Amino acid sequence: MTSTTYTLPVGPLHVALEEPMYFDIQVEGETVRSVELAAGHVHRGMEALAMQRNYFQNVTLTERVCSLCSNSHPCTYCMAVENLSGILVPQRAQYLRVIADEVKRIASHLFNVGIMAHLTGFDSLFMHAMEIREIMQDAKEGVYGNRMNLGQCIISGCRRDIDDSTGPFLLGQLELLKPQLDELYGVFERDPLIRTRTRGIGLLSFEAAKRHAVVGPVARASGVAYDVRRKAPYAVYPDLDFEVQTDTKGDVHSRALLRLREAVESVKIIKQCLRQMPEGPINIKAIPPIPPGEAVARSEAPRGELFYYLRSDGKDTPQRLKWRVPTYMNWEALQDMLANCQVADIALIVNSIDPCISCTER
Amino acid sequence: MNEQGMQSAEKAVSQVLGAGSITWTSDVNGNFFGWVKLCDSKSLLSIAPPLAEIGARLMTVTAYGNDKFGRIAGHGIAYHFDLDGVVVTVSVCLPDSPPRVPSITPWFQNADWNEREFAELYGIILEDHPNPRRLFLDKGLDAAILDRLVPLSTMMNGASTSTLWEKVFAGKQLPEWTKGENNS
Repeated sequence: MTSTTYTLPVGPLHVALEEPMYFDIQVEGETVRSVELAAGHVHRGMEALAMQRNYFQNVTLTERVCSLCSNSHPCTYCMAVENLSGILVPQRAQYLRVIADEVKRIASHLFNVGIMAHLTGFDSLFMHAMEIREIMQDAKEGVYGNRMNLGQCIISGCRRDIDDSTGPFLLGQLELLKPQLDELYGVFERDPLIRTRTRGIGLLSFEAAKRHAVVGPVARASGVAYDVRRKAPYAVYPDLDFEVQTDTKGDVHSRALLRLREAVESVKIIKQCLRQMPEGPINIKAIPPIPPGEAVARSEAPRGELFYYLRSDGKDTPQRLKWRVPTYMNWEALQDMLANCQVADIALIVNSIDPCISCTER
Repeated sequence: MNEQGMQSAEKAVSQVLGAGSITWTSDVNGNFFGWVKLCDSKSLLSIAPPLAEIGARLMTVTAYGNDKFGRIAGHGIAYHFDLDGVVVTVSVCLPDSPPRVPSITPWFQNADWNEREFAELYGIILEDHPNPRRLFLDKGLDAAILDRLVPLSTMMNGASTSTLWEKVFAGKQLPEWTKGENNS
C-alpha cells in the first residue's frame, strides 16, 4: 500500500460487531481500499465433539451451533440421518418442521433488519422492529416453551405437536404480526434516512455473487434466484404456495427489503401449514440402526443454504459429521462489497450479510 | 427431479473418467445425489475444469480420516458440488505421509476457505494454493488436531493450563488429573 493509505483495524471486539471477527482494512482518507479477514476467535471444535456423541446426542449439539437458525441445524442433521437410514418422516411431522423453520426465519430476519436500523442511527425503528419480533418470540414461547432453541426436531419427526390450543394461538400471533410487518416494510422502503444510508452501498453484482458462490438473501438480492426450498425441495415445500424473493440491485437496502418480503412469505407458509396439516403421528418410535455409508442433506436456513454431510461406519457415533453454514460462503464476498466504500458504512455492509460467526467457526 | 443437472453432471464426469463412473441415489422427495470416487488425488485436476465449465457450484469440502481418531492411517476428501439443485459429491483418496492434495481454487474461487480449513484440521498439504495460511486455528495449536482423540472428559474439564487448577485448588493437594499432558 502507498503512504497515503493506513490500516484501520476493526474487531475482533468492536461495538458494531455482534460477534468477534477481525477486519484488517486499508483506508485512503475515508475510503476503503482493501480488506483482509482473520477468523477463529470463537472456534469451539463442535465437529470434533459431534464425532464423540451418539446420533441422538448430536440433535441437541447441532441445535446449539447458532441461536438464530437453531431449528435449521438439528432439522437438516436429522434429514441427513434419515436419508442414510431410509427413515420415513410422518407427513404431519414434515409440516411441523416447516412451521418451526418459518417461525425462526421471521424472527431471524426481523432481528437483522432491526440491527440495520440501529446501525443507521435510527434507534426508534430498531426498537420498533424488535418489538414486532417479540410477537414471534411470544409465539415460540407459547408453542414450544422456549424463545430461541425450540427443541422441536428429533430423528424421525418432531417432539411436540401443535394442538387445538397452540394452533389458534400461533394463528392469532400471525394475525397480529402481519399488518405490523407490512407497515414496517413501508418504513424501510420509503424512509429517507434509511434510503440515504443504505441504497447503493455494499454492492455485489450478479457476476461477483456467482464467483463467490454466495447463498441466501445475499445471493437472491443480487439476482441469483436460488432457494433450496424450490431448487431441491424437502419436507412439504412442494405442496406449499410461496414465491422466492429476488432483486437485482444487490445493495444493503435491497437485502433488507428482501428479508422483510421473505418474512411476509413465511407468514403465508405457516398459515397454509396450519390449514393443510393432516392428522397422524409426529414421529416414529422405533429408529433402525444407522447403517455404514454417507449421506447429504440441505435446507434453506434464514441466512441461506445449510448443508450437512454425514459419514457413518455403522457405530452409534458418526465417523464424520460436517456442516457448512450459509455465512461461511458470504464472508469473502465482503471484499467486493466493501471495496471503495466509506469507513462509516463498514458496519452496515458487514451486517447486510447477516453474519453469524458462531455458525461459521463452529 | 432435475434432469438437466443430472445429465450435465453425467456428461462432465464421463468425459474424464469414462461412462458409469458416477452413481446416483435419491431421497424421498426425488432429489438426486451423484457420487464419484477418485483413487488418485491428481485426478482432481482433470475433473475440476469440466465441472466448472458446466456451472457447478462448490458447496463445501469435507476431509475425513479413515479412522476418526487416527488409529488407522489414510484420509479422504469429499468435494460437494451443486448443479442447479443436484448434489454431486466427488471423493478423493489421499496419499499417506504426508497427505497432500492439489488446490482447486483456479476453478472454484470459494474453495479457498474450505481448503485452508481441512489443511489445518488434518495436516493435509495444499499444492498451489494462493494463500495457504491457517484459517481458524492459532499457529500455536498442533497440526492435524482432528486426527487425535481428545477425550470428551478433557474437553469438558475446560482443560487449559495447570496454572488455572493451581488457583482453583489453592492450598490443597492438586488432583492427579490436573497434571495430565493436555493441561500443561
